[in-house]
Amino acid sequence: MARGTERWESRRDTWLFAGCMLLSALALLMPASWGMAVAAGLRTTALAPFVWLQERAAEGRTSRTRFRAVASERDSLAELSRTLSGLAGENAQLRSLLNLKVRIGPGFIPAEVLRQTLPTDGRTLLLDAGRADGVAPLDPVVTPEGLIGAIREVDQHTSIAMTWAHPEFRVSAVSANGQVAGIVGPTSTGDASRTGLEFRAITYRDTLTDGSVVIASGLGGVYPRGVPVGTVVGVEREQLGWERVYRLRPSAQPSIAGHVLILHGATPLRIPAAFAPRRDSLDSALVAPRPPVAAPQPTPVDSAARARRRRLRADSAAAAAAAAASDSAPAEAEPAPVEVLPPPAPAADTGGGVR
Amino acid sequence: MTSAKAANRLQLTVALGLLLFLQFYARPRLFEGRYAPDFVMVGLVLLALRSGPGVGALAGFIVGVGSDALSPARFGAAALANTMVGYLAALTRAFFFADNVLVNAGFLFGAVWLRDLIVLVASGSGDQGLATSLLIDAPLRALTTALAGTVLLVLFGGWFRIRLDQ
Repeated sequence: MARGTERWESRRDTWLFAGCMLLSALALLMPASWGMAVAAGLRTTALAPFVWLQERAAEGRTSRTRFRAVASERDSLAELSRTLSGLAGENAQLRSLLNLKVRIGPGFIPAEVLRQTLPTDGRTLLLDAGRADGVAPLDPVVTPEGLIGAIREVDQHTSIAMTWAHPEFRVSAVSANGQVAGIVGPTSTGDASRTGLEFRAITYRDTLTDGSVVIASGLGGVYPRGVPVGTVVGVEREQLGWERVYRLRPSAQPSIAGHVLILHGATPLRIPAAFAPRRDSLDSALVAPRPPVAAPQPTPVDSAARARRRRLRADSAAAAAAAAASDSAPAEAEPAPVEVLPPPAPAADTGGGVR
Repeated sequence: MTSAKAANRLQLTVALGLLLFLQFYARPRLFEGRYAPDFVMVGLVLLALRSGPGVGALAGFIVGVGSDALSPARFGAAALANTMVGYLAALTRAFFFADNVLVNAGFLFGAVWLRDLIVLVASGSGDQGLATSLLIDAPLRALTTALAGTVLLVLFGGWFRIRLDQ
């Protein structure tokens, strides 16, 4: 009986094996499309739980990768948010630039600074406006904060601006109240990123208080009068008891300027008013109330001052023409003659800008 | 006797379920690449050694069809290969003392290598690829499978123990 059972089991095993082999052979021999259809049916029915389990496993396996991806996305968002603050600053700069355009009127060429990686990038700037845009050599380059420099080389679509950090830069300047004139040039630190400005050729009897604004005088014909150059932050040195050199904090920073205006044919009379400090309603609300001050009335002294300024501009134009004929260098060789103007109004005494 | 058989079947079912879990969940998470151990092959071999040629062949066919469905390069090749592996694994029980861990590891190694050989041949792989697969890939895959099976037998040896009286 046991032998019969064993024989039956052996026969059963053989038939099972033969049947499985036959089915396998049929699966191998049947058309591929049929095999694919059968496989798809099995995956969606009998094997679906296993497929689902493997999908979960794959998700679990990639969880670390996904965590890294999420962390990367988080870092990217953090970087983006940091960039957004930069964009906000850039927008503010562009808005101020736009306001400056309106104030200056026609005669400017907007340009974008194309940053380079060289350490001397602060001394010269590559601008994306060139001859095709109307840029010419010696055109002043400004930002809403003040003077950047002048165009040194012009290509068809780009130009190189020499900034105030360049060792060869010089500009004839005058204090905002018009009392002290001199030459502004870069300090001799050598490092472009730490280069400051100094106000030279100041006679010993003329003094400037800290915070006084120094503007371009307009002499030489390169830089129009009224463009802020810097603010006095102290005395740099005194030479032999006859000259005092002041240290200036530059009004505009070439290292952070992203957009600039190239002045080309701008109306000179609008430049000082364009750079005059302006206050909006928020500033007015934040400023503590001041005692009422009588509005300055036109006086003969003021009229005389305006007449003197007009004459000075005329002199500047003449000097510019003469300088253009004699000297094509961007640097302004001679300091402006010190012209004693009448004492300014008390409100403008601290160097609040050109009125 | 009946309760003992039921308990053994329950243990076997749980063990096979564990192997399926390892194959479809632990393997993708713990191992990467083509040399990962094949836990389904471990279950097939151990089931064939325990049950017999017919059941081994049938189990091999089912496992093979499932493998073909999941990787349908040549439908039927894995079914053929696993059927032969299951049947032959059960037949070898008469020639070897299959309750030894090392013998089981050898069974696993040979089963994986034979399965790969049959699948490659049935799938029509080229000579160059066939030689490389059989001499490099298949032995490594078989080795990892044998190691994994050995570990499982050490841990759950009682559940897969072959009882010649059954």
